[in-house]
Amino acid sequence: MAKPKMIIDTDLHPVPIHERVAEYLDEPWRGRYLRGDHGAGHPNLYNPNGVMKSDAVTEDGRRIERSPETMASHFLDVYNIDYAVLNPMESMEHCVSPDAHYSAAALTAVNTHFVEDWLPVDQRYLASVMVAFSNIELAVQEIHRLGAHPRVCQVLLVSGSPFPLGHSYFHPIYEAAVEYDLPVAIHPGLEGVGIAGSGGTAGFVANYLEWHTLLATSYMTQLVSLVVEGVFQKFPTLKYVFVEGGVAWLPALMWRLDKNWKALRSTTPWLTRPPSEIIQDHIMLTTQPIEEPADRRHFQQVLDMFDAEKMLMFSSDYPHWDGDTPDFALRHLPADMRESVMFGNALEVFKIKAPQRVG
Amino acid sequence: MSARSEVFVAELTDLPVGERRLITVEGKSIGVFNIGSRIVAVLNLCPHAFAPVCRGKLGGTTLPSKPGEFVWGRQNQILRCPWHGWEFDLEGGQCLTDRRRLKRFPVRIREGRVYVEV
Repeated sequence: MAKPKMIIDTDLHPVPIHERVAEYLDEPWRGRYLRGDHGAGHPNLYNPNGVMKSDAVTEDGRRIERSPETMASHFLDVYNIDYAVLNPMESMEHCVSPDAHYSAAALTAVNTHFVEDWLPVDQRYLASVMVAFSNIELAVQEIHRLGAHPRVCQVLLVSGSPFPLGHSYFHPIYEAAVEYDLPVAIHPGLEGVGIAGSGGTAGFVANYLEWHTLLATSYMTQLVSLVVEGVFQKFPTLKYVFVEGGVAWLPALMWRLDKNWKALRSTTPWLTRPPSEIIQDHIMLTTQPIEEPADRRHFQQVLDMFDAEKMLMFSSDYPHWDGDTPDFALRHLPADMRESVMFGNALEVFKIKAPQRVG
Repeated sequence: MSARSEVFVAELTDLPVGERRLITVEGKSIGVFNIGSRIVAVLNLCPHAFAPVCRGKLGGTTLPSKPGEFVWGRQNQILRCPWHGWEFDLEGGQCLTDRRRLKRFPVRIREGRVYVEV
């Protein structure tokens, strides 16, 4: 299989050095952060794999994701990755905290940590501006603080939310994002935590297998809400990146939404064309965890059912337990889509101006 | 092709704005509507699932608008199919959310009487 000319990883997970993050905080937040308050917690469901790959350690036993140098040498170099979007772990939990002022302060410090301490180390890193749901004014302030930074490439939210993200409560976030021409991304994992809704839309589930499978339902909810509430009519330049939420469910949802729109259009008169067209113009999906039917051709048939070539972007999710390496993802993609998915779409969505290495 | 025949529907005064008549001509069910601007006749068959579309509600609808805004218009011109809710613009027969349209028949009004050409 021919190697793609470039690889852009749209979902890489560094972990901050908390002592360093604390240096960007004032009291009363610094002490609280140093005592280990890293947000609203976890769903308290058991994954025997752990969340982080057990082999993501250096030869001398350090975790790879905890330093920009080892992440570069032990992951980006190994897989020839040209750019990687940093979606920080042990941090997203603040996005769903009910404590608006602490979570906003903590996220401001985390964002600063990655901008100041990771970006300068390696040109391949792109940073996110991560914001919390509990106070929209503070979220908007943070986007204004970092939105113009040349290597901040997206506004990062989580896919578990107090109510679906098309609601007008969230629109100031989108207004600020488009001001800086930044896409908005959502990342899973906080479903059922803090002020976020449950993992399954029918209620709280009892098992990590259920929870992890049903993360896709958060994305279905967010997608339908964003489109139906007219977010893309109001912000016609906005792109929304659905990170790690699955791919194969999309065509069935588009069909269902279009069918319902044909009967119910009058309740949403701003939707002047089929919702599936709006979806294909504004939504991006990242590949990992790529669906693996017993017959690989079935996945490729699903990709024929929507504009996958324009909508998919490669993601590794490294170093999470269920991550996909670039070569693994490539084996699941039709040959004519590989360039767009491995880098072409990400270059466009993240407005990466000067590829620093090609081939 | 059989010759067209002209069929009497109603006195115009008996068909006020927003009202309809259902007639059957040579086995075809046809709905004749007063949509305010004029009288229109359409085949009583939804092109989607072959429902008796002319038994649906005639009314207005929401016009294209900004998110969160609702502008009512087209009163008495929009027919909503009773089976799946598709809206049809009786001015031209076009569905508002699909490329399919209703089959139309010419209407003549002479001396205050409404006729349909079938």
